[in-house]
Amino acid sequence: MTIPFSLYAPRESGLHKLHPLTKLALAGFVALCALVLPRAASYLLFLLLIVPLALWGRVFGRLMSAALRVALPFAISLLIIQGLFWQTGPILARVGPISIKLDGILFAVSTIGRILAILSSFVLLSLTTRPDALMLALSQRGLPDVIAYIILTTLQIIPRFQSKAQTIIDAQRSRGLETEGGLLHRIRALLPLVVPLVLSSIVDIEERAIALEARAFSHPGTKTSLFDLSDSLPERIFRWSLLAIALIIVVVRILTLRSA
Amino acid sequence: MIDVQNLSFSYAGFPGMALRGITLAMPKGQLCSIVGPNGAGKSTLCYALSGFIPHFYRGVLKGTVRVSGLDVAESSLGELAGAVGIVVQNPFNQITGARFTVFEEVAFGLENLGVPRDEIISRVAESLALTGLDSMHDQSPFALSGGQQQRLAIAAMIAMRPAVLILDEPTSQLDPIGTREVFGVLRRLAADQHTTIVLVEHKLEWVAAYSDRVIAIVRGQIVADGTARDVLTSDLIEEIGVGSTRLTRAARLARAQKLVDSQAALPVTLVQTIDFFEQKDR
Amino acid sequence: MERTSPTARGFRGFNTLTWVMIPVAIAINIAIGQLVYALKIPLYLDSVGTVLVGALAGPWAGALTGLLANLVWGLSGLNVSYAPFAAVAAVIGLLAGLFSESGWFRKIWKVLVAGLITGLVAAAISAPISAYVFGGVTGGGQDALVGIYRGIGLGILPAAFAQGVSSDPLDKMVTYLLVWLIIRALPLRFLMRFANGELVRGDEANEGTSAGSTVTPGS
Repeated sequence: MTIPFSLYAPRESGLHKLHPLTKLALAGFVALCALVLPRAASYLLFLLLIVPLALWGRVFGRLMSAALRVALPFAISLLIIQGLFWQTGPILARVGPISIKLDGILFAVSTIGRILAILSSFVLLSLTTRPDALMLALSQRGLPDVIAYIILTTLQIIPRFQSKAQTIIDAQRSRGLETEGGLLHRIRALLPLVVPLVLSSIVDIEERAIALEARAFSHPGTKTSLFDLSDSLPERIFRWSLLAIALIIVVVRILTLRSA
Repeated sequence: MIDVQNLSFSYAGFPGMALRGITLAMPKGQLCSIVGPNGAGKSTLCYALSGFIPHFYRGVLKGTVRVSGLDVAESSLGELAGAVGIVVQNPFNQITGARFTVFEEVAFGLENLGVPRDEIISRVAESLALTGLDSMHDQSPFALSGGQQQRLAIAAMIAMRPAVLILDEPTSQLDPIGTREVFGVLRRLAADQHTTIVLVEHKLEWVAAYSDRVIAIVRGQIVADGTARDVLTSDLIEEIGVGSTRLTRAARLARAQKLVDSQAALPVTLVQTIDFFEQKDR
Repeated sequence: MERTSPTARGFRGFNTLTWVMIPVAIAINIAIGQLVYALKIPLYLDSVGTVLVGALAGPWAGALTGLLANLVWGLSGLNVSYAPFAAVAAVIGLLAGLFSESGWFRKIWKVLVAGLITGLVAAAISAPISAYVFGGVTGGGQDALVGIYRGIGLGILPAAFAQGVSSDPLDKMVTYLLVWLIIRALPLRFLMRFANGELVRGDEANEGTSAGSTVTPGS
């Protein structure tokens, strides 16, 4: 069975076996710390939390490629833009008329750390958690069923839309649209393509709503679930501990910023 | 099980009555087929029996529809969903998309009804077996063929065990073997679980062989209501554009050619046809 | 009593049709965003679905669409960097709903102004997120602008805001224009199913049809 359109990588690992909320808590914890702590500390978060977890979950390779792929454009931009255009501080090097500022490079490097930590925490969550399991866990804790329905259905229908878009792209490429013509020309050529794409997607919505109702989607009363998620007391304690630690970190940080 | 009193309906913003003065009652366990030309109101009737009229398609509704003890206009769609099941024409649109495998897709309705887990598993397995989908249980619903998706829609409905099941052309994508399987399942549901089944179909041979009752609708009104043999051999049925089975046509031709006794009742099923032609030899 | 009145506003604008619409809208966001990127058009156009839902079903539905769209971008691995901007996307959907409820989708010039305002607000809310999380860069070609703004002495946050203002208003104006075209192309009976159906289609919405109208399905 394939999970449609998600990063999920099935593995035999202890991390995968954890309850979805535990993994959500871990990812949230790392992201929160990366946001709240000084930028440079993010590298520690990455090395001490993300990497070991990824190794435990046997998804280290996938994590690194996904995280680096998304962080790379930011890294390049940061190094160039903030490195070259930083206003203050000593100059690190001069290359002709261009000067590279030390503080800019430092800022870039530490920000890259923050980006890496935050984005890789999301990636780690997706790699190790089935979206339907996560949605079920959240629904059991009070997330409205419609939210779970929306997210899971979206994941399933995206591939169809992407291929519709690709068909249009290919047709336009064969007409040379992407290479010729100014911006206005291209936008005007885009409009008559987009409207039919949207209209054809909407045409079935009424029948789909009928089908959803026929499956008792708005039936009153409690719903049950086919799957059973295994949770354990140690995990629950762990999650609450993470929450407590996160709160302490936030409070300490606010206090240290205040007194700075 | 179904009690319709003087039902009339016109869609909002549309002149003309889609249904006029429909009165009918169906007991438990009856398999009733609805026939009629295009635009006669068959789909409209399906929606009126399942609550989508008036809750989804609005307009002017007169009369009452009671299904499984519930007044359709007074109950919400959510409340009706447990009692009335509907399978509409386009199988692709009946995949909710909310679940990743065929098994889970069929289970979805049962989860919404609050059925206990063990029972969900057994009911889903049973439905998939009945509709010949058990080997596909692990596949994505979107990977199925049109015919398989149609079976999936039917499986999802029968797993919910509604007291009344309404099907609008549920075999359009199926070959004769698939059609026979579906009709067989419906026949069994009516007999074993006393499900009242309302079936809109064009495949008259199958309608004739499996229905307890046939109702013909033209321009929103019931014009014929009786056994398959009575309704499908009448002259009326040809006039309104529904046509007749090949068996009936052959028999009619034989009678016109004076090859058989002109008083013999026309047949609709194979067995009846054999008897019909054999009368000649008596 | 009708459970889903088409003239309901706000929270009662939610009904099963809206729930079915939202995944389609999110997929539209992604498809059009992909289209625009592949054809090298220097716009994002990744909120068309969000604005459409906001326009038809109201501010809360629009906000929910935007929020979930960005979470899906993140969860699916399509573009994880969208996830921190979920709040911006929610505000875009919210604004589309508010403009729709004020009747702004009826006239094209109002549609464009609505897009402009939405773009400015989006830029204002994105700037702090961009500055704090991403150091004020987008990772794309627009960063050349960031360089210019930094070079003339703007701080990280002001430069991020200036970059946003340079691109978001145009992007949202084109987005709103597309949604306006889509709404005009949609059958009236379909629009009427949504809470704001009457509000988005000018004078034709008031002719002939009673509240809660639709037409026949099949036979």
